[in-house]
Amino acid sequence: MKADEVLIAHHDVLRGLLRELAGTTGAELGRREELRDRLLRELEIHTQIEDELFYPAVVDVSPLLALAHAEHRQIDDQLATVMRLPVDDPDFGAEVRMLEKTLRHHTMEEEERMFPQSHSLGEARLEELGEQLRERQRELAASGGMRLVMRLKRATLRVTKA
Amino acid sequence: MRSRFERMVSAVERAQVLDAPSYQVEHGVSLTFLLAGRYARPLQDLLHGVWLGHPVHPFLVTVPVGAWTAAALLDGLDATGRGGPGTAQAAQAVVGLGVAGAVASAATGMTDWQHAHDEARRVGLVHAALNSTALALYSWSLADRRRGRAVRARVTAAVGYAVVLAGGYLGGTLSYRHRLGVDHSVGSREPRRFTRVADLADLPDGEPVGVDVAGVPVVLVGTEGAVRAVSGRCPHQGAPLGEGWLHRDELVCPWHGSRFDLDTGEPAQGPSTAPLPCYDTRIRDGRVEVRRRAHWRSATALTTVEEASR
Repeated sequence: MKADEVLIAHHDVLRGLLRELAGTTGAELGRREELRDRLLRELEIHTQIEDELFYPAVVDVSPLLALAHAEHRQIDDQLATVMRLPVDDPDFGAEVRMLEKTLRHHTMEEEERMFPQSHSLGEARLEELGEQLRERQRELAASGGMRLVMRLKRATLRVTKA
Repeated sequence: MRSRFERMVSAVERAQVLDAPSYQVEHGVSLTFLLAGRYARPLQDLLHGVWLGHPVHPFLVTVPVGAWTAAALLDGLDATGRGGPGTAQAAQAVVGLGVAGAVASAATGMTDWQHAHDEARRVGLVHAALNSTALALYSWSLADRRRGRAVRARVTAAVGYAVVLAGGYLGGTLSYRHRLGVDHSVGSREPRRFTRVADLADLPDGEPVGVDVAGVPVVLVGTEGAVRAVSGRCPHQGAPLGEGWLHRDELVCPWHGSRFDLDTGEPAQGPSTAPLPCYDTRIRDGRVEVRRRAHWRSATALTTVEEASR
């Protein structure tokens, strides 16, 4: 799989999770908690593989890196808002939809603009990069360190709620 | 002289090696605000200057620069024995005032810098590093003054002053060359007359649509048959607001998340400190027409008979 295909596949996972989360009602609290935690984890993995591997690889062929970083930041800030809300809060749905729109814009920016620019790296390089992205993604998904970071992040957001 | 300054600035602008550390610094800033919890947003808006209408940082820096300039004068008088009694105490007081002002300036500057891109981001990082060095030197100088080490205190202050001037030069570069903190919204007064821009039936409910009116980008938002129109370029850094979205009836900028009131154009949330120009709208035969609002800080004016007949 080429690098952009790996990332688009992961975008689909993120978009799917958000669509599912936005579709839940205040009566499915357990489901909301579970989806939100998965989203937090997948977004962390996604940001990390892009920051570590993809962006440094396309720095010379895409002028959109600063924008991509700005959009990651906006997603991060909105994710913090969603994580801080009690899942039965009346605003929960609206804030999830805001996160969904923020993510949708970022993935559109990458898929329609940055990824086509990345094609000038050539097939072979994109295949190699795709393999690295997949490898790192698997590694992070299984990593104990990652789980610890997630637990810390959740705890920090809970403590700073008030 | 001028070309030497420009060469130095261009070298900083091109130094991609600064990008990795700059994103690390931003993560630190972001974490600090994260720990502020629900106060993070109002705190950042306060530091950006959303309440003021333009960035706070540029005028706050006049406090340390001014205080330290006075300190340089007083130190000079004191060192040459022409200051008279009390000169050293006065110098110590203004150095302290400068340190306090520099801390506040750093907080506002870092908050603005988080959202800078590429060249401006690199120049901003070096600007911050220089001014932080100067702040450290002046803090050391202040401590020395309290301990009575007058000569060393004057030397560190003099070195600090040179560093502040270099940092200030880069600060000027950020404003006047990279236009950081400058209002990027559309200045054009067009269209002056109601101009047809879209069919009402084509506007999805509650979703912004970007249109082009004689080269001017405008965003239309249709909600329940009513249409509101604001400028299509974010005042903060010129983002295309036609790609934005609505949240709680506010238009969200796709780049840095500024939020704008659709009726007044005022920023409801930073980083934008400037308001968004608004357009008057009317619907004729199912078609949406817009006109640049004369005084866009006031609410929509009703269309008078005289205007409607134009």
